[in-house]
Amino acid sequence: MLCEKCGKNMATTHIHSVVNGVAREMYLCDECAAKEGISMADSGFSNMLASMLGDTLSIKKQGEQTRCKCCGSTFSDIAEKGVAGCPECYKEFYNEFLPYIKRVHGSVKHIGKNIGASSASQQEGNKVTIESLRDELAKLISEEKFELAAEVRDKIKEMEAQK
Amino acid sequence: MSCWYNNTAPDGDIAVSTRIRLARNINGFPFPARISDEQRQQVNLIIRKAIKNKDFAPYSLKYIDMKDVPQNERLSMLERHIASREFVSNSDNKAIILSEDETISIMIGEEDHIRIQVILPGLQLEKAYEIADNIDNVLCSNLDIAFDDNLGFITECPTNLGTGLRASVMFHLPVSESYGDILNLTKSVNKVGFTVRGMYGEGSNAAGSLYQISNQITLGVSEKNAIDNLRVISEQIINKERKLQNNLNKINTEDICMRALGTLKYARKLSSTELIELIGRVKLGINTGAISEDINPIKLLIEGQPYMLMKTYGNMTEDERDISRAEMVRNALN
Repeated sequence: MLCEKCGKNMATTHIHSVVNGVAREMYLCDECAAKEGISMADSGFSNMLASMLGDTLSIKKQGEQTRCKCCGSTFSDIAEKGVAGCPECYKEFYNEFLPYIKRVHGSVKHIGKNIGASSASQQEGNKVTIESLRDELAKLISEEKFELAAEVRDKIKEMEAQK
Repeated sequence: MSCWYNNTAPDGDIAVSTRIRLARNINGFPFPARISDEQRQQVNLIIRKAIKNKDFAPYSLKYIDMKDVPQNERLSMLERHIASREFVSNSDNKAIILSEDETISIMIGEEDHIRIQVILPGLQLEKAYEIADNIDNVLCSNLDIAFDDNLGFITECPTNLGTGLRASVMFHLPVSESYGDILNLTKSVNKVGFTVRGMYGEGSNAAGSLYQISNQITLGVSEKNAIDNLRVISEQIINKERKLQNNLNKINTEDICMRALGTLKYARKLSSTELIELIGRVKLGINTGAISEDINPIKLLIEGQPYMLMKTYGNMTEDERDISRAEMVRNALN
């Protein structure tokens, strides 16, 4: 659909406004939306993510000083944009990311396709065995990664219940 | 070339299309938003080489530099759902890999380095995932894909971590919509980690009673679970809409649908808003048996989009497009 105002660009913003009980709908492109004073950055999802990450940042101020070795991002850069700079950022700022990831997904433990797994377990596709999770649990406890360990423990319980 | 919308499909009366998207990234490079031009070219080259692997031969994939693609053609990719809005809106340095029938599209340099997409008509979640998974397997064995045991596949946005999978099904729900059921549907799918959107993804409205449902949670849920859940939800939506369509007043439905078909067959000008409305009614007419002619409404809808018309007939004003659209539809129906 084309922008209702300029008729040139693709409409990317759908504005539904109710002013004095009169409903009005508009389909605008980014440019015309910006002219109307509506920016996706103001109300968009990325901003919401950024504010959630920012929350994490205030708890973990020390993260600000460290820079990602690969792309040079600080955690405040990441928090501002709501997205990571490169794959390495997740390693560098793992602990800062965790509470946020937990809030978004309700979990911090991937289950599903695993490209690190041996060919035998890959053939099983999505199956994660209880035994492999128990090994993981023991490892995490020995490393004192208790938040992750709790996750894994819950997964084991869940799988045992399904048996 | 036979695109996804050229074929009939299982549950195609209500389910318009099924899409699977996998987000993948290559270790050692910043994500596309922060990447330098030089690094971007390196990434493009690495992927370009990888798809030459003999395991990709059966898919007959073609690598296309977006800078070589005219603007109308670029934007038409969004209209026929083979590329995302983010990808086509600024795609000078990007590249896309397409299979001949365009059911497979691999966007390079969108939000993530690699976005594998498979689109099929109707409800075909398992089949679409299988194709995407096979492609992913070959890519993963040929590229240094970013993966973490705990976080799964690494993505620019933390919301895609884990499987990096987005599975979506697009439905045509005219009767559910007219009964005001969509709000309830939205609420109940939200509760189980799914979301409802319009035809063109994030932020788009649901013109023509077309709704897209997709998973939101990607970490802690396996691919199989996400797809199983979406299939169960989809089947419920389809059954409900089907039931409602079957219970419609026969003559009133026939009247509405035949009038729409008449307009499509004889109009001299059609706006895109009018096209989507009329197509919706014709589709309902076919489902309920009011229309027995052999018509593919979704094909007409996609081919009548502004950039789809302009990539074939050249740049046009809105008025000229309305004339050209009516002509295209008329020729297809008469």
